[in-house]
Amino acid sequence: MGHPYLFEDRIVMLITMFLMGSTLMYNVRYAQMGGEFYLRPIPGLKAVEEAVGRSTEMGRPILYVPGIQDMDQVETVAGVIVLGHVAKMTARYETSLNVPVSRSIVMKAAREACRESYMIEGRPDMFNEDMVHYLTDDQFAYAAGVNGIMVREKPAACMYMGKFYAESLILAETGNSIGAIQIAGTASQAQIPFFVTACDYTLIGEEFFAASAYLSKKPELIGGVRGQDMIKVAVIVTIIFSIIIMTLYDNTGIGFDVSKLLTIR
Amino acid sequence: MSKIQNTFLKIGSIDRRWIFLIIAAVVIVPLLIPVGLPIRPTDTTKNVYDSIEKLPVGSKVLLSVEYSPSTRPENHPMTISILRHLFKNDHKVFITCLWPDGQFMAQDAINQVAKQEFNKTYGIVYVFLGFRPGNEAVVKDIVSNLRKLYTVDVYQKKIDEIPLMKGINNFKDFDFLFSSSAGFPGTIEWVQYASDPTGIPMASGVTSIKVNEVMPYVQAGQMVGVLAGMPGAAEYEALINQKGSATSGMDAQSVAHLVIVLFIILGNVSFFIERNRSKKY
Amino acid sequence: MIWKRQIPILIVTVVGWTTLLGWFIDQPTIQEFVNDDATQWFDILASFAIILGALNLIKLQVQKILYQKPGWIYSVVAVMGFLFAITAGFFVKGVDDSVAQWGAHVTTDGTLFKWMFDYMFSPMSATMFSLLAFFVASASYRAFRIRNFEATLLLVSGIIIMCGRVPIGSVISSWFVLYLIVLSAGIYINVWKKDMKTTFVFVAVGISIITIAGFMYGWPIDKPGIFYLPAIQEWIYYYPNVAGARSIMIGIGLGIFATSIRYILGIERSYIGE
Repeated sequence: MGHPYLFEDRIVMLITMFLMGSTLMYNVRYAQMGGEFYLRPIPGLKAVEEAVGRSTEMGRPILYVPGIQDMDQVETVAGVIVLGHVAKMTARYETSLNVPVSRSIVMKAAREACRESYMIEGRPDMFNEDMVHYLTDDQFAYAAGVNGIMVREKPAACMYMGKFYAESLILAETGNSIGAIQIAGTASQAQIPFFVTACDYTLIGEEFFAASAYLSKKPELIGGVRGQDMIKVAVIVTIIFSIIIMTLYDNTGIGFDVSKLLTIR
Repeated sequence: MSKIQNTFLKIGSIDRRWIFLIIAAVVIVPLLIPVGLPIRPTDTTKNVYDSIEKLPVGSKVLLSVEYSPSTRPENHPMTISILRHLFKNDHKVFITCLWPDGQFMAQDAINQVAKQEFNKTYGIVYVFLGFRPGNEAVVKDIVSNLRKLYTVDVYQKKIDEIPLMKGINNFKDFDFLFSSSAGFPGTIEWVQYASDPTGIPMASGVTSIKVNEVMPYVQAGQMVGVLAGMPGAAEYEALINQKGSATSGMDAQSVAHLVIVLFIILGNVSFFIERNRSKKY
Repeated sequence: MIWKRQIPILIVTVVGWTTLLGWFIDQPTIQEFVNDDATQWFDILASFAIILGALNLIKLQVQKILYQKPGWIYSVVAVMGFLFAITAGFFVKGVDDSVAQWGAHVTTDGTLFKWMFDYMFSPMSATMFSLLAFFVASASYRAFRIRNFEATLLLVSGIIIMCGRVPIGSVISSWFVLYLIVLSAGIYINVWKKDMKTTFVFVAVGISIITIAGFMYGWPIDKPGIFYLPAIQEWIYYYPNVAGARSIMIGIGLGIFATSIRYILGIERSYIGE
């Protein structure tokens, strides 16, 4: 077919990817040129500032847990970005921030994010490198360490933003037992029910990825969120059409085998 | 009547440490005094069993162990049962690990089943390749070129000197894959990068929490079946007629679940009483 | 400034696009980079970065000990544990070279490292995981309240799954479930109609019908199948649960795609600071 360096059976995916990317870019450009989009309010994100304010009033620190995976996971990067926004608030309100991490690279990235946030708020004196500190790579040793910090320091607010596994309920229940306000955000499907049960506010899946857009209110990020929603509508329409075509094809032979077209190997 | 209501209200605001104590008691007692509840295998477990039963004698099966001591009660009985089933049916077993802790778990399983129970010869019937770092890259390497990734086995013996490794160059040289998995990397990576692209059938044993994430792949036919948590492990033990730790744990899990349901019901009764009282006043 | 801003963004953009487009390009060098090298580079970076983390950990714990801050005893335990693990991993094998070579000593029985794993790490790891059993009970007790329709649906399906998934569910007869349904419906009718007579008649008729049907069919434990807990549990797992899981997976996948595109196009730069 004249494309020696291209995997033929992945062309559908390539075209889909460009279409999706173009949709995102269109909405980003539209937003950058002044277009306004409506974003529904997400209670969990509104509560972040309230939580920081509550901690300031009570004179207790904020505990921020950016997940237990490394920077190669998109959720961890999203968690570090939200940490940057939270750090701006803690700098503004002069609240202490405690960020125990499970990976060394996350420690460095989180430190830089916090340092930049404190500098932007004009409070570089308040930044201390040790506010972001490494505990351990091991999942349950990390959970034990964070639990110890919670029980000893009794933070007024606990935020869990990133990729979590089984330790999620251990962290959330301990946070509940010390009376802290808890806000969680994760795309780890299996842990969402635990956070919903034990935390005051939970950002589920895409809400967590959209958090950066909500907190920064930057037009390009808000445009990206709208683009994502448009892609989702397209996916839903594709699913419905595929069901109709496949049903016709299986029962009457009319049409074609959609699964062969859409299956990517 | 109001005395009964007050009792329910007290139960509704019980200190959680009492709940912990009761849970501890209902878990310990059935472990010490087994009840022996009947175990009924589900379809997903039966499919795993049937798939392994149908494999021709001498099939090459890749067993991937990715769990740590924390999920040992759920995953280890699965690994043990699968190994027993494979050795009973005279299959060749290749063991790999995507987690560093998995290597210890796999070694324990090999010691118990391959060495003590079946007395199988290493290098002829089974080989332990061990752990390699890299998460999903390890899966991709096994698919493309296993010998580039594994030059030595876990005992530092050269792969080329192991008779069983003759003719094994990549994932397509295997006939079946079983992944005993507790998280990332694990089942989903094996489906996405190995089993689905190559068409080699696979099954998995996962912790109860992960079943939700894995079930779409089972329903779509990308996996033949799944052993769902400790109940799944107990069902498999029942199918191979060899009871183990999963079966003995099911009594405790059954009673604990019932007690949790009871707590939920009592909590709701208290909730309704409180709501009615606050409506009145 | 260029090292802290433009160069990291350039690295992310170049490597991101190469990895993304590399999946579509059938060229051995690019395939090797995408499948092997890129991940291995990250693993090597992460392995060396662990030294930073370890030094940070030791620094903070030693400071706590030296200044005798509250809880400094725990820091002593942390430092001793750290040193013991380093010793067992790198310096003291505990057996001869003939029993286990360096490298293989981590899984060989009889070595100090294996002893540490079997008798210290494994029990502590299992203990932390076992906390979940208690926390699930207390969280369920606190959170599962019939506040509205969705909460009721969650509660009922949770109870069905919890009972149906374990062996005890298979010994609960479907007739018992039928009786429970009639009694629950009776409670609802009582709340709705507030008439004892109607409630009594409804419950009495319901129980009578079920009892007669039970005697007619001989009280089989798993029939009618629609009320047999393991059967209902399996249906919930295969259909509503998978539907919900799939939709969340698609949503999360789209979220990851959109977020990743923002990173590799340089639109989102907060991960290196503003």
